[in-house]
Amino acid sequence: MRLTYLALVGAPLAAALAAALVRPYHRGVGVAGALLATLSLAAALRLTGQVLAGAAPTWGPSDMMRVDALSALLAVCVAFVAALASWLGPGIGRDEHYTPAQARRFRIFSGLFAFTMLIAVTANNVAIMWVAVEATTIASALLIPLHVSKASVEASWKYILIGSVGIALAFVGTVLGYFDYVHLAGERESALNWTSLIAAAPSMHPRVMALSFVFIVIGYGTKAGLAPMHTWLPDAHGEAPAPLSAMMSGVLLAVALYAIIRWKVVVDLTVGPELPDRLLLVLGLASLAVAALSLVGQRQYKRLLAYSSIEHTGLMCVGLGLGPLGVFAALLHLVNHAVVKGMMFLLSGRILDRYRTTEMGEISGLLRTMPVTGGLFAAGMLALAGLPPFGIFFSKFLLVRAGFATGHAWLMAIVLALLLAAVVAMLTQINGMLYGARPDGVRAGETRRWGLVPLALCAVLLVALGFGGFGSLQTLLDRAAEIASR
Amino acid sequence: MPSPAGYAVAIAQAALALLLAPGLVGLIRLFKARLQNRRGAPVWQPYLELRKLFAKEVVVSTNASWLFRAAPFVVFTSTVAVAFLVPVLAVPSPFDAVGDLLVVVYLLLLGTFFLALAGLDPGSAFGGMGSSREMTVAALSEPTVALAIFALALGAGSTNLGQIVARTMADPASAVSPGYLLAFGALFVVTLAENGRLPVDNPATHLELTMIHEAMILEYSGRYLALIEWAAWLKVLLFFSLLGNLFVPWGVATALTPASLGWAFATLIAKLAVLGVVLAVFETRVAKLRLFRVPELLAVSFVLAVLAITVSFLVR
Amino acid sequence: MDSAFGQLAVLGSSLVLMCGLTLLWRRGSSAHIAAFAAQSVALAATAALIAVFTGSRELWLVAVAFLGLKGVLMPILLSRMDRRLGGPRELEPYVNTATSLVIGGLLVVLAYIVTRPVLEVSRLPTRSGMPLAMGLIFVSLFVIISRKKALTQVIGFLALENGIALLAMLGTYGIPFIVEMGVFLDALMGFLVMQIVIYRIQETFESIDVEQLNRLSQ
Repeated sequence: MRLTYLALVGAPLAAALAAALVRPYHRGVGVAGALLATLSLAAALRLTGQVLAGAAPTWGPSDMMRVDALSALLAVCVAFVAALASWLGPGIGRDEHYTPAQARRFRIFSGLFAFTMLIAVTANNVAIMWVAVEATTIASALLIPLHVSKASVEASWKYILIGSVGIALAFVGTVLGYFDYVHLAGERESALNWTSLIAAAPSMHPRVMALSFVFIVIGYGTKAGLAPMHTWLPDAHGEAPAPLSAMMSGVLLAVALYAIIRWKVVVDLTVGPELPDRLLLVLGLASLAVAALSLVGQRQYKRLLAYSSIEHTGLMCVGLGLGPLGVFAALLHLVNHAVVKGMMFLLSGRILDRYRTTEMGEISGLLRTMPVTGGLFAAGMLALAGLPPFGIFFSKFLLVRAGFATGHAWLMAIVLALLLAAVVAMLTQINGMLYGARPDGVRAGETRRWGLVPLALCAVLLVALGFGGFGSLQTLLDRAAEIASR
Repeated sequence: MPSPAGYAVAIAQAALALLLAPGLVGLIRLFKARLQNRRGAPVWQPYLELRKLFAKEVVVSTNASWLFRAAPFVVFTSTVAVAFLVPVLAVPSPFDAVGDLLVVVYLLLLGTFFLALAGLDPGSAFGGMGSSREMTVAALSEPTVALAIFALALGAGSTNLGQIVARTMADPASAVSPGYLLAFGALFVVTLAENGRLPVDNPATHLELTMIHEAMILEYSGRYLALIEWAAWLKVLLFFSLLGNLFVPWGVATALTPASLGWAFATLIAKLAVLGVVLAVFETRVAKLRLFRVPELLAVSFVLAVLAITVSFLVR
Repeated sequence: MDSAFGQLAVLGSSLVLMCGLTLLWRRGSSAHIAAFAAQSVALAATAALIAVFTGSRELWLVAVAFLGLKGVLMPILLSRMDRRLGGPRELEPYVNTATSLVIGGLLVVLAYIVTRPVLEVSRLPTRSGMPLAMGLIFVSLFVIISRKKALTQVIGFLALENGIALLAMLGTYGIPFIVEMGVFLDALMGFLVMQIVIYRIQETFESIDVEQLNRLSQ
């Protein structure tokens, strides 16, 4: 098991090191990186199997790292999207739009990015988790301006400043939690372990832990893109190169939510679930509202997708505040969203490569120009809109049902109204892109056809998730939800 | 119960302050001159100035009203009233029942207010300009005086200045507590502002762009000017007494015996001399702030005072 | 009255907070960098103080790291950045100085209110300084959102990190060593990345006035 874990986190790190050490950039490095990412995914699946069989392995001095069902779920998502981005990112096929230097930089930092995210979701020590989340900001900030332009530089500045401030606030929350534990049980190396915090939670001081949780939610919520700390997100995800946006939107937001979930379990035991639930509901609803309203006027498709991420993260946050049923729905939604967003951003990368514009108004005839890409893009949009038979419909349905079950009928009505507004906004925009005539200067036909295979696989996966997923996924989600809502 | 001896000491204290004030200012001027490599006038020069001014005739503008003639007296008497309330020599004072922090602040404000009005009264351009500048400074510095001393009062449990002094003497460790140090910083900046010293105002300038206090009293002459100048010098001495006796209270007489009063007198001279030298060095070192930067400096002292209160409130 | 240890700890924390407030008062990057350097030195001194009184060897290492990294190295890098970036010496902040200072004072009062539950729980002699550390955190946040020059925002962020470190030191006599080292590494890396991004901004925009960063506004 130790070996499997080392493969999980070591593979992306090795890919990054390989890209850093080999000069000048060679296509083999990219292929090696992609293979390593696939290895990481395989390791994640294997660990999941072991966890489902009943193990909860720990490693490191004073049990710093630990994998349970929740960690395994997130690890699989991260490894999956990272593998997608790795195969479809610059530096493997014939790229007209990335220089070798840019490709090399991408390989280094995306490897580091995946490594830090995997550490974050498998850390038992909440401070190590924090260090890893901060490291994700650092690793991704330098990649946003891969194509240097005023907009991308501005986006990366906002990203690193707001992200670092948010993370610093999360650290205040971590320190306060540590402070409370230490005053209860004395100083020790394992004091920052999640398992120790859970054990001590019922006897910790409610007001201190409540204060700590507020900082945690504001801090990690900034990284997750919850309103009102979301202002960096449309810029950063809109300007970053497509594979990076796929990783950021797909799984980085999920990792930030994961951090909030871990702390919520502890705080729920100390303070009782009312305050944390209410806080999450408010922030989730605010994010939904902001996203729904902002989606209406969008003109660039990558920013549209970014606001859609805010919308779905807000929805997940609402789910987390609706008790155990809601948590299950939120986790299912997390998986669905990771798959869909990853696919959508990578597709948008292909569209950008062909049409050379980010404005939706200038794109038309997508279905005629690139039939498969266009078709998958349309399918993804329908999925994001929450229409059956895709997975998001299913998780949304479960979430609303959880809301009604916990007596939040009015809230669910508002949520549904906002989601409807978002759907209408997105679908009207997409229509203009799909149909119509092909603009001049745009070549027809698909290039890099092999890149479509993983994306088509995503679409199939989405449909499968819509029909309830696989048995083992169901079990995994059950176990994870159990952990997340103790 | 206030005894006749107590009253006598209080009156003597005020008289002493009045007598020493010109000397203190003379000392500051002499030290500044020496630092600037000049010989400077002797220490008793201000006394000679007062004598000269009292002898000269008064010239009053035709535009001035009764306010112009009344203001010097109001300013002088209010400052002398403060001299009764500030612990210069001895605590407790028989005027403690009426005299505490807020009364002191109000009396100082009364003087400032009348002086500003007197600057406006004759209708001259300089006067109006000086008054408006003075009010800008006073708006931020007056609350800070109250807040800074209030920080000390929180520890002593009363706004009575005498009690604050007594409490600091009883608990020497508190004199270096952060609350005290912050309050001292705030009060020092306010001393500079209230008395028209650098970097807020240059007491020796008559340039239109730079004067504040001098601009307000530009129209005055003769005995009116003498009274106003004397009141200004007395204010300097009283602020120094506050700085010295509230923060370093050892030496202040608690019993009304000749020995302790003598000792109090000696320590008072010492503290005034030290503070005078510090002020002279500071004024020589620092350049005058541009006028729109003065509120920034005063905001700093205000924040220091607020911090002093919050820190004292907690460490109580 | 608190013991000498508690008094000195509060004194150290007050100095650290004062340097933070100086960021709101003085204009001009050289003054800001000097204030940050002084703050880091005061922080290192407080760490050393706690190390003396608690006999913790790790805190000595932490104090030395603060002094070296944040008291010497980062100010040097910041000065170098300042000289390389050029531009106007000071930019008008969004909120003027006097108002900023008053808001800063009010934020410290707010910090006292917010940390009341923490003070009730703590039994350490250094607890009286915790509200000051929290006050520095709030004041640093205010510096970041109210200043226009990107370099000042970075200095504000570094001051925020100082405030959090101070909070950890006063509340729990520091955090486990391995975590502390991870935090240091993160801080250094973060700073270097910010430096790179600011240079990029300078190259593409030819100014580091963040008001210029307004192309993405939808």
